[in-house]
Amino acid sequence: MRLQDRERVSRAIRTLKGDRSLDSLVDRIYAITEGSVMLDRATLQRVATGQTRVTRAIDSPEDCVRLYFALMIVGCEQELTLAEIVGEGRTMLAGFVGEPLATLVFADLRRTLPKLTDRRTLREYLEEGLRVWLPK
Amino acid sequence: MAAQMNALANRAESNTLRSEEARLRAVLAERLDIQTRFASLPGTRALLVSPIGAGLPRGLVVDRSANAAERISLYVHLAAHIALKHDLPLVTIVESRAEVTSGDANGHRDADQLARAMWWGTPAAGLRAGWPGRRSRLLRPFLANRPVRSGLRVVLQLLRGLYYVARANRLLEGTFVARWLRDALCVTAVVCAAPELVASSRLERPRA
Repeated sequence: MRLQDRERVSRAIRTLKGDRSLDSLVDRIYAITEGSVMLDRATLQRVATGQTRVTRAIDSPEDCVRLYFALMIVGCEQELTLAEIVGEGRTMLAGFVGEPLATLVFADLRRTLPKLTDRRTLREYLEEGLRVWLPK
Repeated sequence: MAAQMNALANRAESNTLRSEEARLRAVLAERLDIQTRFASLPGTRALLVSPIGAGLPRGLVVDRSANAAERISLYVHLAAHIALKHDLPLVTIVESRAEVTSGDANGHRDADQLARAMWWGTPAAGLRAGWPGRRSRLLRPFLANRPVRSGLRVVLQLLRGLYYVARANRLLEGTFVARWLRDALCVTAVVCAAPELVASSRLERPRA
């Protein structure tokens, strides 16, 4: 995939990863997505530092959506605010797949968010969202 | 007295209720392709996440603190949502513990109405949703009134206690009497947890 706004995506990833190192982020994304997103360390390093527009191993919109859910789950683990998690997650997705598909995927979270009163509930929503996007 | 009543209510979390909950969860999985798991969901009773494409399983997360009777009523309610085609792709149905927002109120009200018909086994509703109804219609008028159903629940629990204390199960196990008592206890416990299954009045609907 080619990133549409590499600097903004880079900032979103750095915010969502919180205190984690990029190495541990790669491992965590691999674990959360049950191995379906195999982002290599060098690529993530370059994306997170805004040095590249091309992401190897993220070939399809489905991969991007899985990465979107996974990064927001990581954000939940990093004690970020709900607004930060949701805002940066959406920005990251739009940077990967473009505004129209990002809006479609994000619409459900936008509708659901007012009913989720707690970060744990948001995390369960994200985990379930990821699960329905995992390859069968 | 209140503590005793609570203890009685807790004892009603019986094997009958638990096995009925497991049976209906299996119905959800087999007929509606819903994969259920349990997690802590503060402020929320359940989330039903629909996938983007047809033929993929839906994911249901149920709050771990919900008891078996609440779970049973949730399953019927969610099956009604699906029968009403509320489970659009990429749309999450949230069963909140708080008051429903105005945008969702109509959908939940329609689902409550269909769930009521499904629960009591109205043939058209059962066919429409592919749902096994209760058909314990004898109890329905008694359960419509809150004090009566609370009293009935206590009486049924006492009867069940007597049934085992007097070892009547040796004689009656597998008979109509045993089946009816089990069914009546289950129906009463579920309706106590979800009065909307009998009440059309909003006054008796504490749920979201």
